[in-house]
Amino acid sequence: MARIPSAPPADRFRASGSRRRFPYLFTAVFAASVLFSLRAAQVDPRRLLEGDALGNVAKFVRGMFPPRLDGEFLGLMARPAIETVQISVMGTAIAVALGVPLGLLATSSLTWRGVLHERTSRTGRWLLGFAPYAAARAVLSVFRAIPEYVWAFMFVRAVGLGPFAGVLAIGVAYGGMLGKVYSEILENVSPRPLETLRAAGASRLGVALYGLVPQALPNVIAYTLYRWECAIRASAILGFVGAGGLGQQIELSMRMFQFDEVLTLLAILFVLVASVDVLSGRIRGWVA
Amino acid sequence: MYELAGIRKVFADGSVALEDLSLRVGPGEHVAFIGPSGAGKTTLFRILNLTLRPTAGTLIFEGQDVAGLSDAGLRRVRTRIGTIYQQQNLVGRLRVVHNVLAGHLGRWSTATALASLVRPRDVAGAGRALEQVGMPEKLWARTDELSGGQQQRVAIARVLVQDPDVILADEPVSAVDPSLAVSIVTLLRDLSHESRKTLLMNLHSVDLALGYFPRIVGVRDGRVRFDLSPDRVGPELLAELYAGHRDEERQLERLRDGQNPLGAACRPLPGFRK
Repeated sequence: MARIPSAPPADRFRASGSRRRFPYLFTAVFAASVLFSLRAAQVDPRRLLEGDALGNVAKFVRGMFPPRLDGEFLGLMARPAIETVQISVMGTAIAVALGVPLGLLATSSLTWRGVLHERTSRTGRWLLGFAPYAAARAVLSVFRAIPEYVWAFMFVRAVGLGPFAGVLAIGVAYGGMLGKVYSEILENVSPRPLETLRAAGASRLGVALYGLVPQALPNVIAYTLYRWECAIRASAILGFVGAGGLGQQIELSMRMFQFDEVLTLLAILFVLVASVDVLSGRIRGWVA
Repeated sequence: MYELAGIRKVFADGSVALEDLSLRVGPGEHVAFIGPSGAGKTTLFRILNLTLRPTAGTLIFEGQDVAGLSDAGLRRVRTRIGTIYQQQNLVGRLRVVHNVLAGHLGRWSTATALASLVRPRDVAGAGRALEQVGMPEKLWARTDELSGGQQQRVAIARVLVQDPDVILADEPVSAVDPSLAVSIVTLLRDLSHESRKTLLMNLHSVDLALGYFPRIVGVRDGRVRFDLSPDRVGPELLAELYAGHRDEERQLERLRDGQNPLGAACRPLPGFRK
């Protein structure tokens, strides 16, 4: 007679041998890749001290002071600053709209694996569970793999210069990231409450509402807010390819060697990011 | 209530948890399951509450073979089976009232379930259930602020709200301290007796099983080893049931020496008197 497992529900899908070896193998490969990259990426701190490297940096920094703080310039920059926030908010909203459904589909414990599917037939699991799961994962990977810069470049071609291209770029690239992280958060909730609700006759949606969402919500909100912070910075970069906001102004000032304006713009960006940080910290504390 | 014939369960990794297990439980019966850890008791309970599908054999619940049930059919049967687990299978971040009202989920529509999260529906019912388990004041507390024993009472209150025909309790007291264990076992026994529910309980401690249940099923290696009234479960049978399992053998030694870990709360055990 075979060995009797003392199988608690959560550990039912035990790691196979190859999975247990994986961390060691991974660490070795990772270390090797760091060493290899050190050479390939031409990391050489001495080059910072050679020739006029430092002189150029000094010129850039000296040109920044004093920053341009006159009323006219600040007044002109109010609009791009607000635009940057608007791009980040709309971009994040689109990212959430894409990330939630794709993230749900990309969650293996919801679609095909684990305790909620114990009684589903094998073909049912593959057709209705694994196929949409794999498709959603693939889409999310594509969204994430293409940098938001490249997305912005494409969307500028599609919808023209301006903030909308930036919104779409952030929406798609960050939708990929949010979806991936949402699925990981959802996969890591405790399966026990889910099993209990299922065993008491709750529907799949009922299990999600009373078991999954309450467990996952704080992390989902925290990560979404973090991505919003990143989106503000990203919208500045996207301005460089003409997607509006502060970035476009930074690019213009740099091109005209107006480093005093650049400093002011960077300071505005800093204030924006810092305020979003404070705000999201408050919200996180409130939902925890 | 339950009719099991030739139940066998093999997990995906090839390990056999249950082997040709047959069992019959009538309505209103109280049955305790004992046996060494790894005997397949938890697997058996997860088959009984229709979470797991047996690899072979038939499971008949109230005259109905559950193997061919559709998703909706399964849900209907599941609402009639209430389960209490070893670990607190509650959502700690939700208030007690929502965890208790989750017992309604088998009947509620999704819209009702969602609305109740915003504005709890059957507050009176949840309050009554909490009163029955002796902590009505905790209705609005956050569940993760309660102690282990209190959470186990919340789990019982949820089953009361669900109002099933059978209560399955899978080691309901192994995570709480011994003095609470007795009160939770008696609570479950009395509540299911009052409402004429069938009660099946998995127990780690033999003395609780023998002291509070009229029918004892010994499980080992995925099979039923004996199915007797407690006065016929003697030391030899128990020694055989737990042979090779050090911790549990020690528990038997303590029983034999009269050191009942549960103290006076338990009735004297037949066959163990000196």
